[in-house]
Parts: sequence; structure tokens; C-alpha cells
Amino acid sequence: MSSFWQRLGMASPEFLRSKGIVGMNRRNVQLIARNNPRHLYPNVDNKYKTKMLCAEHGIAVPKLLGVCRVEGHVHELKEFLRDRTQFVLKPAQGSGGKGIVVIVGRDGDDYVKASGKKLTHEELCRHVSNTLSGLYSLGGKPDVVLIEDLIHFSDHFDGYSYEGVPDIRVIVYKGFPVMSMTRLSTHVSDGKANLHQGAVGVGLHMATGKALRAVQFDRPLTHHPDTSRLLSELYIPHWKEILLLAARGFEVSKLGYLGVDIVLDSHQGPLLLELNARPGLAIQVANGEGLLPRIRFVDSLPQGLQPAERVQRVLNHWQAKMQEAG
Amino acid sequence: MHLLVVLLFCVGLGAAAYKHLALGFPLLASETETIWQLEGKIVFDAKPGMPVEVRLNLPDNNPSRRLVSSDFIAPGFNFDEIEEEGARMARWRGEGIEGEQVILLRSLSYFPDTEDALESPLARPLGDDMDGPLRRTGLSLLRDIQPAAGIDGALQIMRSLNQPGEQRVEILLRGNTTPEKRTYRMGQVLALAGYQVEPVGGIFLEDKSRSQTINHFLEVFIDGRKWLLDTRELEIIPWDRIVLLQRNKEPLLEVFGGKDSRVTYATNKLQRATFASAVDAASHAENPLIDFSIYSLPLSEQNTFKLLLVIPLGALVVVILRNLVGLRTSGTFMPVLIALTFLQTTLVVGVMLFIVVVGVGLILRSYLSHLNLLLVPRIASVLVFVIIIYGAIGILSAKMGWQGGLKVTFFPMIILSWTIERMSILWDEAGPREVMVESGGSLVTASLAYLLMGNTLISDTIFLYPELLLVILAVIIAIGSYTGYRLSDLRRFEPLERHD
Repeated sequence: MSSFWQRLGMASPEFLRSKGIVGMNRRNVQLIARNNPRHLYPNVDNKYKTKMLCAEHGIAVPKLLGVCRVEGHVHELKEFLRDRTQFVLKPAQGSGGKGIVVIVGRDGDDYVKASGKKLTHEELCRHVSNTLSGLYSLGGKPDVVLIEDLIHFSDHFDGYSYEGVPDIRVIVYKGFPVMSMTRLSTHVSDGKANLHQGAVGVGLHMATGKALRAVQFDRPLTHHPDTSRLLSELYIPHWKEILLLAARGFEVSKLGYLGVDIVLDSHQGPLLLELNARPGLAIQVANGEGLLPRIRFVDSLPQGLQPAERVQRVLNHWQAKMQEAG
Repeated sequence: MHLLVVLLFCVGLGAAAYKHLALGFPLLASETETIWQLEGKIVFDAKPGMPVEVRLNLPDNNPSRRLVSSDFIAPGFNFDEIEEEGARMARWRGEGIEGEQVILLRSLSYFPDTEDALESPLARPLGDDMDGPLRRTGLSLLRDIQPAAGIDGALQIMRSLNQPGEQRVEILLRGNTTPEKRTYRMGQVLALAGYQVEPVGGIFLEDKSRSQTINHFLEVFIDGRKWLLDTRELEIIPWDRIVLLQRNKEPLLEVFGGKDSRVTYATNKLQRATFASAVDAASHAENPLIDFSIYSLPLSEQNTFKLLLVIPLGALVVVILRNLVGLRTSGTFMPVLIALTFLQTTLVVGVMLFIVVVGVGLILRSYLSHLNLLLVPRIASVLVFVIIIYGAIGILSAKMGWQGGLKVTFFPMIILSWTIERMSILWDEAGPREVMVESGGSLVTASLAYLLMGNTLISDTIFLYPELLLVILAVIIAIGSYTGYRLSDLRRFEPLERHD
């Protein structure tokens, strides 16, 4: 039977079932439709709203310097940005990193992008204008532009990421972190941390934050394709703090099936970057494990616990598993 | 939920089965069958100053005959149907009518296989009522024949009665010169031999036969089954070749207040779709399932519904390809609309036109990207582009003498504008490869939906059994709660197994 599927270039359903892999249908029906009420989506689809909610809950996020809401604000940009050398422009409703401009320095009146290219003030204004008119938002809806403090990402990731900020994706189910990976940008992914654009996904052990296995384009690999660093040596510092931050994403969004994106800032530690109401399934490939057993485990746990307690439960569970495995 | 699926499935399939089994709907709409048109023509001279009454014996319930429709033309007459001594009669009455009068009748009937109706006994069999010498002669003849049992015996007696020169036959048939009387007397002999027999009159069903007059036969009931015998040709007549009009000594036509009356019949053979006859027969019988169905609508509306009824099939294709296969399409039900267009343009022409319109549209749309327009004006501009492309294709193809290009107008332009817009955004966001995947997926879905929706066998069957929509609904709902893997999942997680 399995050879039949292999000949078609497919995995056998039996194997996927035995691994507890969640497919698109199960994700849509059992995870998203059952746990994520539609009316809560704007809270996570709009980064500005997310930021406000995080502020209410006292959750660490990249500092918001200002918001450009209407065309009239564009004229005030020159004055506003006069003394700032490092900042990020972000469309509130963009997806997949589109429309994000990272400014790392100034050259007179010009701005220097992360890639080293210069941007004149007029060019920057046109970009903001375009974003406001909905060029980067889903469905072309009018948008707002967030001006954020630049993240100084921790040098811990030196050599693990190429031309971009690595982030940590944690799947949080009913408030319990269940699976995680870090996404390392590559030359192919054009500095973006998107797996389907060619970023490397590294599955992380839930108890320790240590690398489990790494994949690029769903294929396993051992070294970073650009920097050749051994990926199995990767581990994430502040692991418990990261899990706690992810777990608190549940209180912010109220979404039962949630993807939390976290970055490590060298000064401020873990910051919550983004929430996602429809997190993808590629994380299962990066971990070599299915989500289903972990979903079942969480379903057996009591609900209504505090974030810290939830994280402790998860850590205990995985530490016990580690000891079992010796 | 499972209960709902099972319920929908059973109701849909059950109604279809009822229509097939009980109402005689054919399984496939393409089945045709023979139906017979029987036209009667009554001619008579009305006497002036007298009320006129015309009575005609109507076709009897031939066990295997089913009436599709019947009507008549009789200007100036009041019509009603009466039953007299067990015979169904049509009655026309009129006053102040004179001169030659013509009444036309027409009925359509067909002959489904209904064997059990042949088992009902005769209505009024002849009694053993010959007297004196006739009876003795008959008994003597029968003694000589020594007829076998069953229908063969009856045929044997008939054969003897048809032998000219035999004295006893001469005696028996003396004075019975008309075919009607001869048949009656032969029936009496059969009754004497102990057969249950009844003389009947009817019309042969022959294609394009004009001016037939009534023929006379004997109905014989033997061992629980009825037979029809031709007394002159010594044949057993199949039930589907005859329409019985007259039974025993019932009069065929009676005209009061008129003279020189006669009735002639014409029969005609027609071929038509089996389901049309079944629908007509069911509505003739005032079956509520048919009375309140699509078939009760005017014909032009029926055709609209015929198209509407196949759309769920397209939706089913989309559901299967998206949720079981995992094919990506641009716009959820856009492929169904494209498939509807293909129904007008045919597949190859449709696919070509689609690729041309969307391709050119994408090129023109890429210019709009530089203008950074807002959403609605942008789509409105694309819509203008699309109409210009339509016009260009139409004019060019007409100039080149290719009529297929003119069919481009069947494409829904708003949908195409949105498709172009979405693909253009996709191109910017995810690159040309994604665009190819999505438009390819859309075209595959549309083509499959077209093949299903355009299949006359399938569309006619759905039209015939619209309750099958409930079955489609059940399948769609079942797929809607399916949480298993899509084929695309299996493909995507394949490396997981290979490197496990």
C-alpha cells in the first residue's frame, strides 16, 4: 500500500495518521473553525490593534513610535523622523512581510535601508502614501502605517540567518504552547522569514528550545545554505520566557488556535511581533512530528489556568518525556 | 450531522426510486419509446330542428395501455363522459345544429410492461346460451375436434370454424355474415367448449394507417391470463398492438338526431423520450409529485431550470477538487461560471478565449500597477480593458471569418475582471509560478465541471430526477465535515515520510 503512494510521490495516509499530522481539512474544520471565532480576526489581522491589545495586557512588543493614519500625516513625516535614525515602517494589515521598510541609518536627508540602499524622503513618502491607499493590504483595503523602533536582534543568531531577522513561531492551542520552530531567512527567501519563500525552518524542542531538525522547501538539511553553520547546534535562549510570551498571546487574542511570532531583541529580550489566526502546517515538517497528539494532550488538561501555570504544565510534560527517552 | 446526510441521501434517492419504479420514469433520459396516436373521426348529418346527441364508446382499459393525453374537437357541442352498463362513453350534445358534422378525437398512449393487469378476469364473459339445434351441432363439432387444453385448444376450435364446406360449420355460422356477428358466434362456440370468452372490438395500431374501421376479436381467459384472438387470421394478438374500444355487445357509436353516421380511426406511430411520456402520464393521473414539480412549468422556464440544475454539479466538482484533492483555484466558484461559459463556447474554444482574455488583461493590468490606483477604480479600469479585449477578439475573428471568437461575449466580464485583478496581485506577491498554478487549477476545475455539466446524459438525468440534488447536497455536506487528508497534503508531507 505504501509503495503505491510512494510511486505517486505522496506520503501514505497511514503514515501521516500514525504521526498525527494535521491536514488542511482538519486544520480548517477542527482547529480554526472550532476555536477561532470570526469576529476576533481583526484583532490579529490588524497589527495596530494587536499592538494596542498587547499594551493593555502589558506584553512586550517592538516600541511604536508613531502611526500614519491619513494622507495628511505624510507631510508631518519629515518633522517626525528628523531625529530618528533607525526605525521600521510597517503596513498594519500587510501579510507575508510585504511593504515593510527597515531603515538602519541616515545619510543627510536620505534614509539608509537594511540592504544598504538609500531612500530619499520623497520616495519614503510615496511608499507611505501607497501603503495608506491599500497597496499592501489584503484585498486592497485602505491601511495605516506603523512606525516602529528597530529591533536589534540578538547576536545569538549570528551565522544562522542571512540578510534578515530570524523569528520564532509558536503554535498556541487553547493557551498552551504546543509546537515551535524558528525561521531563518536565506538568500533564496530574500531575507524573509517565510518558509514557502525558501526560509529554513528549524523545529525546536518544547522543553529546551534546542534544534530538532531543519528543513528548507520541506526537505531536511543540516547546514544553513548560505552561512554553512551547523543547524543542530542552534538553541534559543530565554526559552521559558518565550513560551510564556506565546502563552499570553491567548489572553490577548482569545483565539484557541494561534500562531505567535516572537523576535529576540538584544536589549529587551523576547518581543511579540505578530499574531496569526491561521497558522500554517509547515511547522509539522520542521519538527518531523504531527500536531494531533499535542492537541489531544492539551484537550486533556484543565482549562482556565494562568499563563505561567500553562507553560509549567507544558514544560513538565516535555521534561518527563525527555527523561523517559533517557 | 451524519443523520442529516443520511436523511438527505435517503429522501433524494427514495424519491428518484419512486419515480422510476412507480411512475415508470426511465433510468436514463436518453431512452426513447414508441407511443401511439389514435385519432377518431365521427361524421354524421344532423337532422334540422332536433337536439343532437352523439355517444362514442371510449377505449377500454387495455391492461397494458397507459394514456398520455386525450382531447377532442367538437365545436358547438357540450361534452361529458358517462358510464353506461360498465362501458365508458363520451357524450356530445348540441341543439340547433344541422348539416354535416365532424367530431375529432385524439389520444396518445404508450405500452409499458404491466404483466399483472393481464391477470384480471373478464368483465362479462359469454354464457353458454346457444339453444336447441345450434347447441347440438356445436357439441357434435367439438366432439370431433377433441380440442386440447388451454389456448391451443381454442385455436384448434377456431381453425375448424374457419373451414369452408364443413356442414356443421355452415349451420353454426348461417346468417352471421358480418365479422362482428361471426366473431360473436365463434365466441359462443368457445363458451360451449367451456372457455371464458368475451367478444371485443378494437383498432390495430399500425403506423400511418388511415380510415381504419373497427375489428372484432375474442378475449379468452385461460389459467389466470387473458389472450386476444383474431378469429379470422387464427392469431394471438399482442396487447400492445391493439386499442380496444368495444366490449361484448356494447354499441360503438350512437347518434340521436342524425343520420349517415360513421366513425373511422387513424393510427400513427411516434417516437419520443421515455421520460416525456412518463411525465405526461403522471400529470394526466394528477400525481402530486409531478404536479408540483419543474415539469409543471412552461417549456421555456423548464429549459432555464435545466441549466440551473447542473450548477450544483459544478459546485460539487469544486468541492471535491478543493477539499479532497487540494487544487488551488482563483476565486472559489469562478471555475463554475467559466464552465457555464464553456457550455456556450465548447471546451477548446472556451479555454483558448479564456487564456487570451486573461493573458492580455494581465498585460494591460500590469500598466495599472504603476499608477497605484485605489481598488475600485482599478477594477473598473480592468473591466473597461476586458470589454475592449472582447471587442477586439470579436472584430478580429469576424474579419478572419472565424465565428468562434464571437462567443467571447458569453464570458462573465465582471468575474473575469476580478480574476485578472486577483491574478495580477498574486503575480506581484508570489510570482508567475503561483499565477500559473492557480489559473491552471481554475482551468482544470472549469473543464471537469464543464465535462460533467455538459454531458447530456447527466444533465437530462438530473432534470428527470431533480431530487438527486438532495443526494449532491448530502455529498457536499459530508465532504464539508471531512477532516482527513487531501491529496495535496499527502504530496506536501511526502518528504516527512521519506526522511523519517
